[in-house]
Amino acid sequence: MEALSLRDDLGDRAAAAGQNSLQLIAFSIGEQTYGVEITTVREIRAWNGATPLPNTREYVRGVINLRGTIVPIFDLRARFGDGQTSPTKNHVVVVMSVGDKWVGILVDAVSDILTVNRDDIHNVPEGNSIDTELLNGIVTHESRMVGLIDLQAVVSGAKADA
Amino acid sequence: MSDLDDFKATYFDECSELLTALEEEFAAIEAGERDSDRLNAVFRAIHSIKGGAGAFGFGALVGFAHAYETLLDYVRDGRVELTDEVVSLCIRANDIVADHVNAAQTGEALDADYGAEEKARFDALARGESGEDDEGGEPLEDFDIDFTPVMVNLGHAEGEAAVEDVFDVPPMAPAEGSWEIRFTPHRALYARANDPLLLFRELAALGTMRVKARMGQVPPLSDFEPFAVYCSWEISLSEPSLTEAQIREVFEFVDGDCDIAITQAGAVPAADLAAMEDDLLLDTGESDLASLLALTEDEMALPEPEAAIASLLDFAPEPKPVAASKQDRFEEAPALSFADLAATIAPASVAAPKPVAVAPKAMAPANSDGEESHRSNGVQSIRVDLDKVDRVVNMVGELVITQSMLTQQMDETLRARYTELVRGLEVLAQTTRGLQDSVMAIRAQPVKSVFSRMPRLVRELATKTSKRIKLETIGENTEIDKTVIEQLSDPLTHMIRNSADHGIESPDKRLAAGKSETGTIRLSAEQAGGNILIIVEDDGAGINRERVLKLARDKGIVAPDFTPSDEQIDQLIFAPGFSTAEAVSDISGRGVGMDVVLSNIKKIGGSVHVRSWTGKGCRMTLRLPLTLAVLDVMLVKVGESPYVVPLSSIVETMQCSRASFERVPSGGRVLQVRGEYVQVIDLGKRFGLAKPASSADQFVVLCESEGSQKVALVVDDIIGQQQVVIKSLEENFERVEGIAGGTILGDGNVALIVDVQGLRTTHLHQNAA
Repeated sequence: MEALSLRDDLGDRAAAAGQNSLQLIAFSIGEQTYGVEITTVREIRAWNGATPLPNTREYVRGVINLRGTIVPIFDLRARFGDGQTSPTKNHVVVVMSVGDKWVGILVDAVSDILTVNRDDIHNVPEGNSIDTELLNGIVTHESRMVGLIDLQAVVSGAKADA
Repeated sequence: MSDLDDFKATYFDECSELLTALEEEFAAIEAGERDSDRLNAVFRAIHSIKGGAGAFGFGALVGFAHAYETLLDYVRDGRVELTDEVVSLCIRANDIVADHVNAAQTGEALDADYGAEEKARFDALARGESGEDDEGGEPLEDFDIDFTPVMVNLGHAEGEAAVEDVFDVPPMAPAEGSWEIRFTPHRALYARANDPLLLFRELAALGTMRVKARMGQVPPLSDFEPFAVYCSWEISLSEPSLTEAQIREVFEFVDGDCDIAITQAGAVPAADLAAMEDDLLLDTGESDLASLLALTEDEMALPEPEAAIASLLDFAPEPKPVAASKQDRFEEAPALSFADLAATIAPASVAAPKPVAVAPKAMAPANSDGEESHRSNGVQSIRVDLDKVDRVVNMVGELVITQSMLTQQMDETLRARYTELVRGLEVLAQTTRGLQDSVMAIRAQPVKSVFSRMPRLVRELATKTSKRIKLETIGENTEIDKTVIEQLSDPLTHMIRNSADHGIESPDKRLAAGKSETGTIRLSAEQAGGNILIIVEDDGAGINRERVLKLARDKGIVAPDFTPSDEQIDQLIFAPGFSTAEAVSDISGRGVGMDVVLSNIKKIGGSVHVRSWTGKGCRMTLRLPLTLAVLDVMLVKVGESPYVVPLSSIVETMQCSRASFERVPSGGRVLQVRGEYVQVIDLGKRFGLAKPASSADQFVVLCESEGSQKVALVVDDIIGQQQVVIKSLEENFERVEGIAGGTILGDGNVALIVDVQGLRTTHLHQNAA
């Protein structure tokens, strides 16, 4: 599969990054940009279909085979309540580790690696519960708003109500 | 001391195997097979446990095992008759040994007098029969593992003088009960982790002993081979009534791994003497030993080899000046045990003579295995970390998938063009299959390892409940995957506990019901297709359905207006929190037991079925997969997604157009098969997958779940059969209703495994709701 290699440009960026900074993988869903900490990302691969899982919520797109292990794929757009993504070959799955589990997140595209200052992370404004539930914080990068995804929250409660 | 911990771990592993073997032997002995082979096996097992325990200093265990061993010894030579009473005492003793081992392992302290009663009975039996016999009068209670250290001297320097001094009895003057033993161990002896020191200790118990090590063959360090044997011993042993047979007995375990010459003192053949002299002639200047010792000089700053030896001897409690006459040295020289000597030599990093170097090996794994295989040509085995085996299993699994993927890639044109390639692929397929079978066989183990724990459980339960219970085991050599075996212990314990506590009645009730006083629990294992059936059967009262139903209604497990069938009532005992015991006892009644059975068995992909006959007994059947790693499946399509159904649960498949469906009032369908009505589950509907095909093109897969309850699954297409490697969904996700797991198909896609049993139970829930 077309797994992108992140290693090369990671090196110098990491060196440049100070102690108080945080490196994010930024990806987009529609017009919005979100990010996750780079250390949690294991692999980025193109969407190549998934086997749907019955009796699960709509944002669980199914499972894929990642070199012999079965990894569930979460549709981030559906998780935010915007309806299911209609994935094409251009859509991307970001495989990450959450605790001791590996999960994949289906996003529209991976845009960049960002280095942000931890002090610049703002709290999510109270209001919509989906925002506060799924985001750890908000950070501004080159006048774009980047929502920091709370992976734990995204993957929890995936089972359909009985 | 991680090394020691390793040894300990090995020792405990070994103990549990030996204890298992003990149970087996006694099961046979109890059944009437009282031949000496059985007793010898028991004796060896206890002896091995004692030996290891001695090495680690588990005093209580050694003490008890020794007393037990003495009794066994008497039984073996016929001084104590093997009556039923003795057998039951021995069985009890096995349990106590097991408890001691357990206590040693966990570090818990048992009561100081634990097992004292049994020990006293051993003594009584031993004494009662042997009477005034002196050799039997060894006071068992006073057994002390700290034998008086045996005296050792290094045959060194001043050759001939030393030879003379070896004997305190004048040569050629045979003395009654005085023996000379020449003991030359072979490499194999050490390889089997025997320790001469232990033998000497046993000899020392027989009489007054002197040991002399002959190290004349020790080569220069440059030629020194760490695993070679360079040392032999001469032992003189005197005790008025000592017989050769007693001495031979000590060497029983090393028989064949060493040369032993036992002669009455004074009767040493001249040739032997000459040989001894040769060995002992160590010229101080050129002596190999000297060159060995010379290495220590720097560290010890000793000018002369002889002084070095003197300093070795200095480690003895009461050092004597080297200048003292050699006579003195040999006759009264401070007792210097091998352990001391080893401690002295080893730190100096001189390659110590073999016996010293391997002394710690007494605890090594080879010990009992070696003995076993030596004695009975038993199975040769190695211990391998399970993780390593699993890695191989997983890799072979991937290999199988890759191989089937390659085969699928071969279309007709390719086949026609590359015949060699096709042939190669066929061979590859065969080899892969063979490899897979072999690897699976590595993981397979006889269920014996679990079954053998049950006799003790039944004994204890019988005692606690004052019932008379007999346990029969059948098919204990049935092999099953190791992981399955590990998961089997708890459920079996609960099931047997249940049978003993609830099933089997008290003796008077049984008599009143016209049954024999002793209840029987039968534990059996058999292979049935791709499954292993483990059956626990008792001839007790069976399930009291009225009470079960009443309790279930009281607890709200069954709705008041619902009348379940007999079979459904029987299954209620698996409901969490359900217990029919009127009072919570320490055996059962907390209502967790059968629930544990069900969940454990489900976890390993098995199922449980219970069948009861009122007044006659109850049978619980566990159906377990042969292996957890590979599954024969039928690949089907539901909607656009691939699903697999375990082949072991499929009865037949048919086209929907040929099947006769009937409607039932709830709106569902039932399938009529040969006069039977079977519940229909449309997988497309159940899994919420779009169904493009018309029902005529669909297929029915008739499955049999546990308890001969059939269920008909409607699928959109049947693709074929294949073998798959089961992958966990829970590893990265969570359990999904109706899905037993996932697997990766040849094309790299994931297929889900249908949980037939699970589908049926969820269906029942929905019906009840």
